[in-house]
Amino acid sequence: MKPDDPDILWVDEPKLGLAGKLYLPLIAQGLTTTTKHLFGKKVTVSYPDSEPEIANPLIYRGVHRLNRDEQGRVKCVACFLCATACPAHCIDIIGTESPWEDREKYPESFTIDELRCIYCGMCEEACPVDAIELTSLYNLTGRSREEMVFDKEKLLSVFDQTKDAEPMKSQTVANSLADTTPPKGGAS
Amino acid sequence: MWEALIKIGLLIFVIMTAVAYFVLLERKVAAWVQDRKGPNRVGLPLTKIRLFGMGQPLADGVKMVLKEEYIPGHVDKALYVLAPISILASALATFAVIPFGSIWPTADGYIDFVVAPGFDAGLIYVFALSGIAVYGVILGGWASNNKYSFLGGLRSSAQLIAYEIPLSLGILGIVLTAGSLRLDTVIAQQAETGMWNAFVQPLGFVVFLVAATAEAARLPFDLPEAEQELIGGFHTEYSGMKLVMYASAEFLHMITAAFLIVILFLGGWHFWGITGSGTEITWVTALLRVLVLFAKICLVVFGFMMVRWTLPRFRFDQLMALAWKVMLPLGMVNLVLVAAMVEYFNNAVAEKPLMVFLVMTGLMLVSIVVTAVLAPLGSRNERSPVGDLPT
Amino acid sequence: MAKVWINDQEIELGDDERLNGIQVARRAGVDVPHYCWHPGLSVVASCRMCLVETGSKNAETGEVSMMPKLVPACQTPAKDGTVFVTDSDKVKHARAFVEEALLIDHPIDCPICDKAGECYLQDYHFEHGQKERRADIKPFTSRRRPMGETVTLFVDRCVMCTRCVRFTREITGTNELMTVQRGAHEEIDVFPGFPLENKLSGNVVDLCPVGALGDQDFLYSQRVWFMKTHNSVCTGCSTGCSIRVDENQDEVYRVRPRENPHINKWWMCDDGRYGWRYIHDDARLIGPEIQNKQDANADSGANGDGPLPGPMEWSTVIAKADEDVRAAGRLAVVLSPYLTVEEAFLLCTYAREVDSQVLIALGPVPQLGEDETFPSGFTIHAEKAPNRRGVEEVAASFGKALSFEELLPKVAAKEVSAVWVTAGYPQANWIDESAASQLAKADVLVVQDIFDSPLWQAATHRLPSATFAEKEGSYVNFANRLQSVPWAIRPPAGARSEGGVLWRLLGRTGLYQAKQVLAEVTREIPYFRAAADGVSEFGIDLTIGMLAEA
Ligand code: SF4
Ligand code: SF4
Ligand code: SF4
Ligand code: FES
Repeated sequence: MKPDDPDILWVDEPKLGLAGKLYLPLIAQGLTTTTKHLFGKKVTVSYPDSEPEIANPLIYRGVHRLNRDEQGRVKCVACFLCATACPAHCIDIIGTESPWEDREKYPESFTIDELRCIYCGMCEEACPVDAIELTSLYNLTGRSREEMVFDKEKLLSVFDQTKDAEPMKSQTVANSLADTTPPKGGAS
Repeated sequence: MWEALIKIGLLIFVIMTAVAYFVLLERKVAAWVQDRKGPNRVGLPLTKIRLFGMGQPLADGVKMVLKEEYIPGHVDKALYVLAPISILASALATFAVIPFGSIWPTADGYIDFVVAPGFDAGLIYVFALSGIAVYGVILGGWASNNKYSFLGGLRSSAQLIAYEIPLSLGILGIVLTAGSLRLDTVIAQQAETGMWNAFVQPLGFVVFLVAATAEAARLPFDLPEAEQELIGGFHTEYSGMKLVMYASAEFLHMITAAFLIVILFLGGWHFWGITGSGTEITWVTALLRVLVLFAKICLVVFGFMMVRWTLPRFRFDQLMALAWKVMLPLGMVNLVLVAAMVEYFNNAVAEKPLMVFLVMTGLMLVSIVVTAVLAPLGSRNERSPVGDLPT
Repeated sequence: MAKVWINDQEIELGDDERLNGIQVARRAGVDVPHYCWHPGLSVVASCRMCLVETGSKNAETGEVSMMPKLVPACQTPAKDGTVFVTDSDKVKHARAFVEEALLIDHPIDCPICDKAGECYLQDYHFEHGQKERRADIKPFTSRRRPMGETVTLFVDRCVMCTRCVRFTREITGTNELMTVQRGAHEEIDVFPGFPLENKLSGNVVDLCPVGALGDQDFLYSQRVWFMKTHNSVCTGCSTGCSIRVDENQDEVYRVRPRENPHINKWWMCDDGRYGWRYIHDDARLIGPEIQNKQDANADSGANGDGPLPGPMEWSTVIAKADEDVRAAGRLAVVLSPYLTVEEAFLLCTYAREVDSQVLIALGPVPQLGEDETFPSGFTIHAEKAPNRRGVEEVAASFGKALSFEELLPKVAAKEVSAVWVTAGYPQANWIDESAASQLAKADVLVVQDIFDSPLWQAATHRLPSATFAEKEGSYVNFANRLQSVPWAIRPPAGARSEGGVLWRLLGRTGLYQAKQVLAEVTREIPYFRAAADGVSEFGIDLTIGMLAEA
């Protein structure tokens, strides 16, 4: 990139006033702010004495799950788009021809290394069939590294565990779209 | 002999414990400033008693001690091991001349609250040792054989050399008025007049405060470490006990700086009305003096911590500009002012203290404003003309 | 000299160059999208993706007269004064509409399509298509039916370019594929009972611009964007087709032909295309070993203090092999036709250094059936080794080379006491018991091989070696064309390329540098001199060097 590239937005430093040049008043100002916070209300949640409240589980990025379709089969079509999008390279898929008539490809094995994952949610964004989702389960523990590598069964079981509390997002979104009645009044 | 040994033992115990708890305090202050609670879990081992996290330093210590003594393969082994030892040793040795109280009356006279009483070159000694500290940093950075460490070491040397000068200038004023390099004399003189040097030489106080912060490499002057840019700087490659040595040496520097500030400018153990000023005292007063001193130290340290979580780090050119363009001239001005006062109004401090304070403060404000206008810190931030930049 | 204009650029053509619009545009750095045209096939101009504006420039007046309609660039020859406009709005609209029409019937199942990532439909749509799809989105699947053992057809993904059909007509002459039905219902198919089965069938997968033809062997095993591509040479036969090896994390997933006008054009045969799986065979030899000779050769003076323990360090084994070979006395080496030129040269150099009277023999050259030539001229050779010519020439430059059969009795008669055999044959039974037992008479028998064999069992020093994908070096094909290629993957842990071992034996430091060795070869051996100034990706013809030699 050249310095005269039109995409570069040059920002000039604001000119300092006398107070800024003196620096001391600004220090006083900063100290006032910090002192205020010193006695302010604390936001820490004393986990595990108290549990955090998850305001919106739909946008929380916790443990992954692999969704099932209506027939209970894994929804994933082994397209590897999640693995491609994953910045941590923690998704490992082996795709193969599916045993089902109406589906071409499916994951023979699907593993996510939950220890390597950075819970960015890119996989969820990338999935073309809404098969992978991040749930609001956050307290993930294990006694070995191997245990933290979730395979297909485990990921599907996470779905079974969470599907009632957190319905599939594709459905939720579809429902909320269906629910939206056109606004009354206004220009039509 | 025994007296000195007991003093040393007591001092090291108190100071190292203080270091541990200052670490805790720092974490707590950090948490509070950031609206968190801070470490509050570790209390008495094996019980559920949490004691607001007071057990944390102990746990940290145990953890650090039990860590593997790891020496990376690419380092210069001898220097690598030597560096933290030298820095910790010099930091501890500084306390030999620093009075941690006044005196303790005994049947046949009194005991000085200082390891090496009556040492005439006290201030020089302190400076000599703080000069050695920079070796620890440079050695560590060099021996680590790591670019970040090396940069940290280089920054540190440049920074310490630059700030030694305003630091000394700040002290020169004190030496002029006190007429001695002995720290207890300095305190005694302040106690006698009741006018702390901070009031007599406010400009010197400001210069010294800033320079001492920089010497202790506390934020906003912690460029040698600069986690974000140098991932720890000179101690990137250190772990376990060696890291502890570095960390405690750093806290010791801060405590030394606090001691110097309190002793030189804030009256040491003196407080109006409760500590008296002479050597004819009871043990109650002696104890009070120690308490006052420690209270002041704690306050100054707390101030350091608040500053740390308030101010962002300087850029290196700003750091240097501050040293050479601002602190150095201000230090000179202070020296001249104090010299003039000592020469022409020698009795003014005793006779018209308020007058001295007002005049000195006024002169300080004037000189600060003049410097700020002449050498603003934010300079050299303009956009380089297009084409000058590397493409 | 003909002058042609592409948009604003002027291109000069050679006197006897016959290029179409797509080709001249490419020369000007302008890409004209196309589906049905392929340089190796006849022109049908059926896809209409390559539509451009054309006209001619009057040489005297400089006046340009354009044709009113768009024409397919693939079918429009470039003549003196021809003008092509490829970036006008008219052309852009035409492309967008062709793309839209193609997508009306397309299932857009890119997520499960193997071609995604290298699909022309995707790329062209991205570049030339409309932003929105106006057709309804159809189900996410494509009908599928096998065309033969190797190739499967995803019917709905096809864009009816008929490249595949023309391939079986013009290149293989086998005519298996055809179009059935008409109009929007047109499909590719085979006659019932006559599946696509010829030795070049895999090429239709590469030809297909979209994901309609899938390779059964590669199907669903990797997404193409995960793989890295390396130039290589097929070692299946002495044709030495230029290929690309597609690999991900040291695992090869497929092999494709690489365009080389001098050797294989755009094609390669199925034997080579599917014949590389042995690279990842579990039976590959790993871990060097030293076996003592006392049972096989009790009367020899070899130290008889029991077998050396377990897995050994390469450095130890190499040092020991060197020591034993030097101690043994007379030496014979066997050059496998699977060696690269550089490796053969290093081995001969080493052998000559150890024993100036060394016997150099050529390893057996596997032959299988007859040469097979297709109507297009593409030939699969019966000689199933990549580098007989190269190895022969290297050996010849070190004195008269024996044949493998001539060497055997000499070893059996103990004329030599040490034998260094390089093998690397993918064929499991390249050597029989009797030949192996004759070679086993030697006191020191060093074998570099990739699979277990009677000879391996008889060897005293066993050095697992590397396959073609794992080593860099040069091969000379049947027609004296030398190609230099890099390695694509690393050998399995415990195996080392012959070149790497010999490099160490000769006391050279650092990594094995095939380029450096090739430079030595071209200096030392006249036959290889043509390669002295570097080798292009199409290889270099060595016949000149042969003439000089004669
Ligand atoms: S959340 Fe991010 S890091 Fe984790 S698997 Fe998904 S894409 Fe990878
Ligand atoms: S993106 Fe979705 S469909 Fe594709 S592999 Fe990942 S989970 Fe499966
Ligand atoms: S299968 Fe492929 S090559 Fe054959 S006509 Fe269809 S798109 Fe073209
Ligand atoms: S490429 Fe020209 S019409 Fe198909």
